[in-house]
Amino acid sequence: MTEPAATSVAEELRAIVGDRFVLERDAVLLAYQSDGLPGYHKRPSLAVFPGSRDETIEVVRLLATTGTSFVPRGAGTGLSGGALADDVVLLGLHRLKAVLDVDIARMRATVEPGVVNAALNKRLARHGVFYAPDPSSEAACTIGGNVAENAGGPHCLKYGVTLNHILAATVLLPDGEVMEIGDRDGGMAGYDLLGAFIGSEGCFGVALDITVRLTRRPAAVRTALADFAHVADATRATSAIIASGVVPAALEFMDNGTIRVVEESIFAAGYPIDAAAILLIEVDGSEESSDAEMEVVRSLCMESGARTVRVATNEAERMRLWQGRKKAFGAMGRLAPNLVVQDAVIPRTQLTDILAQIHAIGDSHGLTVCNVFHAGDGNLHPNISYDAGDPDQVERVHDAMSAIMQACITAGGSITGEHGVGLDKLPYMTKLFDEPTLAAMCDLRNAFDPDHRSNPGKVVPVHSCREWLAAPAARAPARRATDAR
Amino acid sequence: MTTSTGTPSLHADSPLAREQAGLDACVHCGFCLQACPTYLALEDESDSPRGRIVLMRALLDGSLPASDPDLRQHIDQCLGCRACETACPSGVPYGHLLEATRATMRGGHAPTFASRILLAVFAHRPLMRFAMAMARLLAATPIPTLLLKLPGRLGFGMAMLASTDFPLERAKYVAHGSGENGSAALLLGCVMEGLFTETNRATERVLRRNDYSMIAAPSQGCCGALHAHAGELGAARRLAKRNIAAFEKSGAQYIVTNSAGCGAMMKEYGHLFSGDAEWSQRASDVASRVRDVSELLAAAGPRSGGVIPFAVAYDAPCHLQHAQRITEAPLTVLRAIPGIELVPLDESDQCCGSAGIYNLLEPETSDAVLERKLDRIEASGAALVATGNPGCLMQIGGGLLRADMRARAVHPVDLLDASYAAD
Ligand SMILES: Cc1cc2nc3c(=O)[nH]c(=O)nc-3n(C[C@H](O)[C@H](O)[C@H](O)COP(=O)(O)OP(=O)(O)OC[C@H]3O[C@@H](n4cnc5c(N)ncnc54)[C@H](O)[C@@H]3O)c2cc1C
Ligand code: SF4
Ligand code: SF4
Repeated sequence: MTEPAATSVAEELRAIVGDRFVLERDAVLLAYQSDGLPGYHKRPSLAVFPGSRDETIEVVRLLATTGTSFVPRGAGTGLSGGALADDVVLLGLHRLKAVLDVDIARMRATVEPGVVNAALNKRLARHGVFYAPDPSSEAACTIGGNVAENAGGPHCLKYGVTLNHILAATVLLPDGEVMEIGDRDGGMAGYDLLGAFIGSEGCFGVALDITVRLTRRPAAVRTALADFAHVADATRATSAIIASGVVPAALEFMDNGTIRVVEESIFAAGYPIDAAAILLIEVDGSEESSDAEMEVVRSLCMESGARTVRVATNEAERMRLWQGRKKAFGAMGRLAPNLVVQDAVIPRTQLTDILAQIHAIGDSHGLTVCNVFHAGDGNLHPNISYDAGDPDQVERVHDAMSAIMQACITAGGSITGEHGVGLDKLPYMTKLFDEPTLAAMCDLRNAFDPDHRSNPGKVVPVHSCREWLAAPAARAPARRATDAR
Repeated sequence: MTTSTGTPSLHADSPLAREQAGLDACVHCGFCLQACPTYLALEDESDSPRGRIVLMRALLDGSLPASDPDLRQHIDQCLGCRACETACPSGVPYGHLLEATRATMRGGHAPTFASRILLAVFAHRPLMRFAMAMARLLAATPIPTLLLKLPGRLGFGMAMLASTDFPLERAKYVAHGSGENGSAALLLGCVMEGLFTETNRATERVLRRNDYSMIAAPSQGCCGALHAHAGELGAARRLAKRNIAAFEKSGAQYIVTNSAGCGAMMKEYGHLFSGDAEWSQRASDVASRVRDVSELLAAAGPRSGGVIPFAVAYDAPCHLQHAQRITEAPLTVLRAIPGIELVPLDESDQCCGSAGIYNLLEPETSDAVLERKLDRIEASGAALVATGNPGCLMQIGGGLLRADMRARAVHPVDLLDASYAAD
C-alpha cells in the first residue's frame, strides 16, 4: 500500500496512537507476518497498536470512514493463521492489558482484551479463585484471542471452554459502534449475541473489554502420570475412566514422540521415555473425593494395562508434570525447522481406531506424526515436524494432513476443536458444511460486519460470501449453488 | 515460506550461518514474549525474542541488509538477558544467536564509537586498572552522592558509583577452614576487583570458611563477556585464551566467580572455540570447572554465622538465572544466614536493565526496564536487595539512590561475610 491515500491514513493513525505505534516499513512488519503457525506469511499494509480503549475506538472509526479493512491481533499465538493481515491494516490489541475490575463477591473480573491469560491468573491467585480455560499457550495468549477462538485447554474437560466462562463483553463493531453484549450478572434475555461473538475469530469486530467468570480453587487436586507400553491400552483406559462416571479435571494423552521431545527440553517432566503413551490425569474437589476418584482412576489404568501410575506427591512435582504437557508443541521445534499442529475433534469412542489410521497415514507418507491431545474430549492434535525448505516434504505433509482431516471428518468429527478455522482450514469448510449452512454463517456475519472489513477472508470461504454480497438480487440461487469451489 | 531454510544465504560463512540450527529451532510459538523485558517495556514484537529471530532470519537469507536501520535498532535494543531461553520449550540458544547476529552485522566491531572505546579499555589491563583506580578515588569522595541526581547518564554514573558503598559495617575476622572441599581460584573480574574489591576479599573469606582452599591465578584478566555480547568475537577469544592459560596454570579444581555475567561467559568458553582444533578442548575443560560462588557455598552447606536482622529480597541476575540456570543456590546461601527474612520479590527473574554496558548505550529502554524493577522492590518492602552481579548491583543500587528509596543493593556473599563477622 504505497498510494498517497494509505499514507494519509497512516498519518491520521499516528496522530491518534503516536509515531512509535504505527508501523509501515518492511523490516518492522516482518515480525507480524505470521502467528503461531509459521507456515504462512502475509504482509500487513500497516500495523497500528492503540494504547487505550479510546484510542482503539478512534482508530476503528477512522478505518470505517476510509473503508479500510483490518485484522485484530492479540498475542499472535493462534494456530490457524487467523491474525494474519494480507495487505490490510493489522490492529494489535496487546497494549490494552489492564485488569479493570476484580469482583470476588460476584465472582467476576473485567479485563481489557490484551491481558495475557496467565497474567490474569497470577493476579487472581491470592484470592483463591481462577479463570478456568487454560490453553497450553496460557503464558502468552490474550483473553481477547481466547474469546475470538473460543479457546480450550486441558482443564476444559471438567470446567468447559471459554464460552462457558464469559459473562459479557463490550464489542467495537467494524463501523465504530460500541455495543455491550451478554450480562455481567449472568442473566440472559433475548438472542445470545455473546454466544455468537465467542469464537467469531475476529470477524465480528473487536472485543474491547471482557467480563469473565471466576471459579473457586478446588480444595484438593491430585495429578497422576499413567505409563503404557501400548497406545491402545492408553485409549482403552481413557474410555474406561469416562465410562466410570468420574469426571477428571483433565485427561491428556502424549505419545512416545512427544514424550521424547519434552524430555529433551528444559521443561523435562520425568516422563518415561520408553513408554508408547502416557496419560496425564487430574481429579479435583474435596480431599476425600479426590482421593477416592484417584483410586478409581488408578485401578482402571492398571486394569487397562498401565505399567505404572504415579501420583504427584507435592505441588512442585505436579507443576512439573503439567509444564511438560503445556510446552509440548513448542518443544517440537527441536525435531525439524517447521511444525504443523492440527486440531480436530472426533467421537471419543473412535480414538483407538483414528490413532491407528493417523499412524498409518504418517507411515505411508514417510513422515513421523507426534500426538499430544485432550483425550478426555476427543480433541486431537497430530503434529508433524518437517523442513519447509524441502518441497517434496512440504507436499507430503500437506497430503498427510488432508488425509488425517478427512479421516476425522469421516469418523463423524470436526475440523477444529479449539484453534479455529482462520486461513489454514478454509479449504475444509466446504467438506464439512453444505452451501446453505455456509450462507447462514455469512448472514450472521453480515449482522455484525456487513462490509466484511474485520478480518476479511477468514473462516468462511470467501466465495460463499462473495457471491452473496456481489449479487444481492440473486441470493436465493447463490445459496443453492452446488459448485463447491 | 520465507524461512531461512533452503534459501541461498548471502552470509553463508558468517557467524550467524553457523548458528542456523539454533534459528531453525524457533517454531514461532510466542511463549517467550512475556518473559522479555524489552517487549514488556516497548510493546512491539520486533523488540521481542520471536521478532528478533525473524529479523535474524531475514539478515541471514539476505532479505534485509546488515545496514538496515530497523534491524540495527531492534538488535541493539536487546538486553541479552536471555530470559527468553528459560521460557523457550524449543531450546532456542538465543544468547548465541544474538552474539552471532551482532558479529555478522558489524563484521566483528561493536556498534558505536563509545562502546568500542569502552570495550578497548576492558581489554587492556593497565588501562582498566587505571580507570578503576580513578573511579575508586572518585567513589571515596562525596562527589558521586552530590551529583547523583543530575539528569542523564552522568547523574546515573554517579549514582552507580555511590551505590558501591557497602551499606553494612565490615567487621574483620579471620576465616579458618579445612580446605577439604577442594581448591578454588577466584576470577577477580574487571569491575568486581575494580569497584567491589572488598566483595572479592569477602568471597575468599567465606569460601575458606566453608572449607575450600583458595589458589591465586595471577595472569588472568577480563573474561571477554562484554566483547562477545557486542559481537566482537575476535577480541573475546583473545581475552578468553589468556584466561584459559592462567587458570590451567593455577591447577585449581574450581574456577569461582562472584559475577554472574563473567561466570556465564566462562562456562561458554567451549562454545566460543567450537571448531577450533587447538583451543576447543582446553576451553571446554576450563569451562567445566567454572562455578558461581553460590554453587560452591550451597554445596558446602553453607556454615551458619551471626544474626543479620534484615528483610532481604533476592533479585536473580539474568546471567545466573537464565544463562547459568542457577536458581536455588543463592537462596540456599541467604536462608543459611540467621536473622534474614527473605521477602518475595515479584518478577525477580526479570532483567533490571543493566545488561553489561547496555544501560550506557540504550539509556531510555534501560530506564524503562529499571523503573519496573524499582516498583517491584518498593512493593516487596525489602531493606536489602541481594544480587550476585556487579552490573545489577550498580544498576539497582544506583536506581534506588536516584529514586530516594530506602532499600540498598548488596552481594549475597557480603551478607554471608557480615554474618560470619558477627558470629
Ligand atoms: C504452543 C501453542 C499451544 C496452544 N495450545 C492451545 C490450547 O491448548 N487450546 C487452544 O484453544 N488454543 C491453543 N493454542 C492456540 C492459541 O494460543 C489460541 O487460539 C489463543 O486463543 C490465541 O490467542 P492470541 O491472543 O494469541 O490471539 P491471536 O493469535 O493474535 O488471534 C487469534 C484470532 O483472534 C482474533 N482476535 C484477537 N484478539 C481479538 C480481539 N480483542 N477482538 C476480536 N478478535 C480478536 C484475531 O483476529 C484472530 O482471528 C496454542 C498455540 C500455541 C502456539
Ligand atoms: S519460545 Fe522459543 S520457539 Fe517459541 S517463539 Fe520464542 S524463541 Fe521461538
Ligand atoms: S535476551 Fe532478554 S531482551 Fe533480548 S530478546 Fe531475550 S528476553 Fe528479550
